[in-house]
Amino acid sequence: MNTDEGTQVKNAQSSKPRMNRIPNDEMAKVMRNPWDPLHSSDWDECIPTTICLRRIQREISSMLKESPPGMFIDTDPDNITKIHALIIGPSDTPYENGFFYFIIRCPPNYPFQPPRCRFMTTANSTVRMNPNLYQNGKVCVSILGTMTGPSWAPTLTLESLILSIQSLLSENPYHNAPGFTKERRLGDSKAYNETLKHETLRVAVCEMLETTNVVPQQLREIMIKHFLKFYDFYIDECNKNIDKDGQQMIDPFNKNCGLFQYSSLLTRLQQLKYELESNKCCNEEEQKSDFDINQDISSSINIASDRLSDCSIIADEKVFDNERKVNHNQDEVTEEHANDIQSSEKNLLI
Amino acid sequence: MRIRLKEFNGVAVWKWVTNDDSCGICRMQFDASCSECRYPGDQCPVLHGECRHCFHEHCIMKWINAQQTNKLCPMCRGEWKSLP
Repeated sequence: MNTDEGTQVKNAQSSKPRMNRIPNDEMAKVMRNPWDPLHSSDWDECIPTTICLRRIQREISSMLKESPPGMFIDTDPDNITKIHALIIGPSDTPYENGFFYFIIRCPPNYPFQPPRCRFMTTANSTVRMNPNLYQNGKVCVSILGTMTGPSWAPTLTLESLILSIQSLLSENPYHNAPGFTKERRLGDSKAYNETLKHETLRVAVCEMLETTNVVPQQLREIMIKHFLKFYDFYIDECNKNIDKDGQQMIDPFNKNCGLFQYSSLLTRLQQLKYELESNKCCNEEEQKSDFDINQDISSSINIASDRLSDCSIIADEKVFDNERKVNHNQDEVTEEHANDIQSSEKNLLI
Repeated sequence: MRIRLKEFNGVAVWKWVTNDDSCGICRMQFDASCSECRYPGDQCPVLHGECRHCFHEHCIMKWINAQQTNKLCPMCRGEWKSLP
């Protein structure tokens, strides 16, 4: 049981142990994948501390104001401890101009414990895009505690986490894997890069845009803008590599990878462009097609900061709740707290 | 010209002597309190380590108490020793 004084367990004053409140199969999922933000029922049971809420709020607003190059975040309308992050593949890497989507969840006693992070661009858990980004979504980064190396410290931020993930998307990711500093077979690293280039176009461009509702709307709009901007690059890449079609892709970290199919990617990209552009024309409100990406982002900042002010309401409510806690049953406070959140969200919608 | 002083009000300003503006843990200004205190000042003091890094006492103690084995400074990962 967590005895950290910073974490207020909902039923801290009742004699029932906390484990009883979480169904066993849920708890088993947490135990099996302790890195997974989507199986965090242990954290759902705890009310985030004031320091947790305030810090997340500060971090998000500073990232929205000045977002580091190639990374975008969005808040979750239901839970401020859940953050959606999008990394655009850095140039001169096999990931160039791909869209890599992550879900991050901060613990209720953040920043004293690391967040959990899941990589979502895996084509339904079939593709391992990097030695450190597994098919099942596990992100191997030492500050998350998912591999050896310098561990989490409370001075680290969401931005430093996203930066260290971005640095995984490197020029020669083959050498990221422990024990692969030297090539096991000559040409392995180059062959792996060719595979990743194809999979970036297939999974991190086509699939990311073909399926709607995978990423929050704000991030999707950023993806669409970038897609149209980099469309010629994608087409060029396909044309340059089309002679590889039909050959087996090589991935030393995943045995089950398919064949190069650049010609089918070309068709998918053309189809996507057609659909995205006609959607845009149909939508009369969308008269801002001349706007550059920056302006688009600024609108997303506005929406996200609206949510943030909501978050500050929650943080203030939390302080208020803390004061009343002495006289209240903890569960009642929690319910009121949940109602407060709901009502403040309603106000925001109106 | 002669002036007769009838009354005066003394004003004092205080400030923490620190290397940084804000606490690296809660990200609040040192001259404000940590996230969980309401009033700055003696109730929410700043603690310096031998490594010259400083934090709100409440923040750094939460971190130090949460660490199982080595008590490390969250900034430089050196051993944390508080200066008196």
